[in-house]
Amino acid sequence: MEESRMDDEGTVVVVSQNSSRREALAFLFAVAGWLVPGLGHALLKMWGRAVACFLTVGMLVFFGAGMRGNLFRSSGNDAFDSLGFIADLGTGTFYLVARSLEKEGADVSHADGDYGTRFLATAGVLNLLAALHAFEAARGRKA
Amino acid sequence: MNAALAFKLTHLQAMLLFALVISIAFGFLGKRKPADRVKYIAWTLFLFLLVGVGIGWAMYPFSH
Repeated sequence: MEESRMDDEGTVVVVSQNSSRREALAFLFAVAGWLVPGLGHALLKMWGRAVACFLTVGMLVFFGAGMRGNLFRSSGNDAFDSLGFIADLGTGTFYLVARSLEKEGADVSHADGDYGTRFLATAGVLNLLAALHAFEAARGRKA
Repeated sequence: MNAALAFKLTHLQAMLLFALVISIAFGFLGKRKPADRVKYIAWTLFLFLLVGVGIGWAMYPFSH
């Protein structure tokens, strides 16, 4: 079903209700993909990508926490801490998994911990990229 | 599970692991056909290692 309306510049725009429903569904898939890495693609029945996202993000979190990387918290002192928190939060529920794996806390006094910090942040950014990919795929713009 | 995780990786091992995992993710997200994915993963991995080792050697004179 379609309806037409005028935008600010006087151009007639045709808005499809199916299109807006599709957008909403795509947004839901993206959120699902963010919360559980790979879930967005799994809902789209892209099984290979779903498994790949789950395993790669999971491995980065697993090794990052195992190397005692710094898992940033919301109570950051500066902009870098806040950016780190946003990146880490990109892993969705895996953020909580990483917190539970890091029983002894972060240790960035060695190179391992520093690498671990990068692994954790990369896992988050990679998962956000995957969620964005799922969003675009659900909109039919990319596959 | 009470035992804490503890991985001790060398710089090279950490770089290899990082490059491999990211290459696999890029390959699966960027390409559809299995053959294209394998090629893309191999190419991305090669570039990651080339750049990583290249930057390592570029920094070498400053460490002495």
